[in-house]
Amino acid sequence: MTAALLRRHATLLVMPLLVAAFLAVTVAIHPDFGAFDVQSLALGALPLALAAAAQTVVVISGGIDLSVGSLMAVANVLAASTMQHAGFGGALLIAALILLGGALAGAVNGAVLVFSRVPDVVVTLAAGFIWGGIALLILEQPGGGAPQGFLDLAGGTLGGAWLPNALVLLVVVVAAVWLPVRHSRLGLTLYAIGSDRTAAFRSGVGVDRTRLIAYVVGGVFSALGGLALTMTTGIGSPLSGTYYTLSGLAAVVVGGVSLTGGRGGMAGPMFAAYILTLIPTDLIFLNIDPNYGQVIQGTLIVLVVMGGGLATLLRTRA
Amino acid sequence: MTRFTGLFSRRRGRLKRNTSSREGTMRHIATIAAAALAVAALGGSHDAVAADKKFVVGVSNTLIGNGWREEMICSIKAQAKASGIVSKVILANRNGGPPEQIADLRNLISAGANAIIVNPSSRDALNPVIKQAAAKGIVVVAVDQAVSAPEAYVLTNDQVAYGRLGAMWLFEQLHGKGDVVEMRGIDGVPADSDRHQGFTEALQKYPGIHVVAMPFTGWALNTASKQIRDLIASGKQIDGVWTSGIDAVVPEAYQTAHKPFVPTVGADNNGFIGQLLDWKSAGLVGAAATNPASVGGAGLAVALDVLQHKAHPHLIKLTPEVWSNTTDAGMAQLKSVHQEKLDPFYSVATEIKPYTTYTTAQMVACEGP
Repeated sequence: MTAALLRRHATLLVMPLLVAAFLAVTVAIHPDFGAFDVQSLALGALPLALAAAAQTVVVISGGIDLSVGSLMAVANVLAASTMQHAGFGGALLIAALILLGGALAGAVNGAVLVFSRVPDVVVTLAAGFIWGGIALLILEQPGGGAPQGFLDLAGGTLGGAWLPNALVLLVVVVAAVWLPVRHSRLGLTLYAIGSDRTAAFRSGVGVDRTRLIAYVVGGVFSALGGLALTMTTGIGSPLSGTYYTLSGLAAVVVGGVSLTGGRGGMAGPMFAAYILTLIPTDLIFLNIDPNYGQVIQGTLIVLVVMGGGLATLLRTRA
Repeated sequence: MTRFTGLFSRRRGRLKRNTSSREGTMRHIATIAAAALAVAALGGSHDAVAADKKFVVGVSNTLIGNGWREEMICSIKAQAKASGIVSKVILANRNGGPPEQIADLRNLISAGANAIIVNPSSRDALNPVIKQAAAKGIVVVAVDQAVSAPEAYVLTNDQVAYGRLGAMWLFEQLHGKGDVVEMRGIDGVPADSDRHQGFTEALQKYPGIHVVAMPFTGWALNTASKQIRDLIASGKQIDGVWTSGIDAVVPEAYQTAHKPFVPTVGADNNGFIGQLLDWKSAGLVGAAATNPASVGGAGLAVALDVLQHKAHPHLIKLTPEVWSNTTDAGMAQLKSVHQEKLDPFYSVATEIKPYTTYTTAQMVACEGP
């Protein structure tokens, strides 16, 4: 019983240990690592973690969303261009509207690929180009702004210097969106269509509807990611999303979510986002060319996937 | 060993300014003392004493694989070495946007930099972190592109003038009439918008000039090369080409296509200047607008001066020059700056007087302290 539970939640055990190991290494090479650095880490990881969250939902349902980064950029420039002269309340209202927009954008993605039967990769790749263009149309170059209160949602340290808002915010919003989904019938159907679409269909799961909803939830997380970019940079930047599609996907893979769908959870990719953010930091402390960060990230992905495969192999033999 | 000298210098040299964030220092004093002893024991006693006044320099750059940016970083390393008062240059160098650069800057602050040279990815987004750095007594110098933070020093080429002067030369060359291509940089980046603004200002003075294509090269050779080849193949009328610095691919494309050259404006890149000299007899007419990559080294020189309480204005703008191969003076200038051995995509303005003190050979060697 306990063994089965452990196996099921292996990533929940391994990922925090991995983060702790990376933190230990960081403190070893940089003994001055303190509250300021914890805040840097939380701020840097926030948009990446939300991009990973968006991707996680879609990947669990058996799809893939290559428009996450561009949709984040749209949310980012929309927020920055409309919030500039708003008060805190106004900013929150705008943020809510943008989240609604994110859900709509996800619904459009989902509807197109469900009804056209064109593969997810193609539809979301195309959508990515479209959103990228729209971001540039909204804001041609970096600009705009947001009220200080809104920036402090991520930038402040309400819970003391060692507990940055960016970390609290991440936990709160991901839990608020994901937990209700995960613990409802919808969560079950998401995993069902991800692991075997035909079997799910025969068990009476509305496959098309569930796929569409996965993209809607993903769209909400992408919009949250865009808002996080606004909070952490204070401006809108039309090109800011470029790196988050693939980095988010990397966090998903490192976080133990199977790219073939139906397997993995939300916590893994969140921890992975922290690890992927720590790598360039360590390289700066070690004064090694941060371009090696990409090499290390790639190696880590291969190792994790291989490790996962080995674990499955051992399990089936046992 | 280098790392420890760096730490050592930081603790001794900057302790006054950093006391607030140094509560954990006592715990590490023993380690540091041991490291210092080790340095001394290894025959570095002189270094250890000199390290007292040495500075740690951080560099933040968010466009990699670009010759101009590489040269900028090399000029910073060369200036650091030539100055004799820099113990270490820490590079934060990766592709990214404002969020990545903010993270890098925070890490450089944390890594103990006394001065940070930044090529900013945004005019405004870095301001809060620059303010934090300044509060810790760190001198921040933005080079190549400006930031709006009042705490920062800004040393840039005048990019609006770069766009305007090059375009004016081209339109003059075409006698105010014709179809031109404007090959831009990266959409949404300050230097690109500034240059486009300058280009547009020039365009307004020449109503007979029409822009037939305005591709974004991403400041990448392969992209620009494909774009110009496609444009030539399209059969469009093209009387002249203005480029935002990805220049040598244009005459090359015309040569490969066996088409007569059209007047071309580029930057002071070694390869393009070579073309202006060598292919003049084959009919290439062109001009190079200067955009020295050595703003990096010059920025460091300013930062080191400020650290040593020597004042500088917060805004230093370099006015670009236009060297054309149509005049004798221009030819003489081009000949004097062209360097056979320099990388074709390096800017020939390897030094900026009175700021930089290294030699061109030192910059090409690209070695820091």
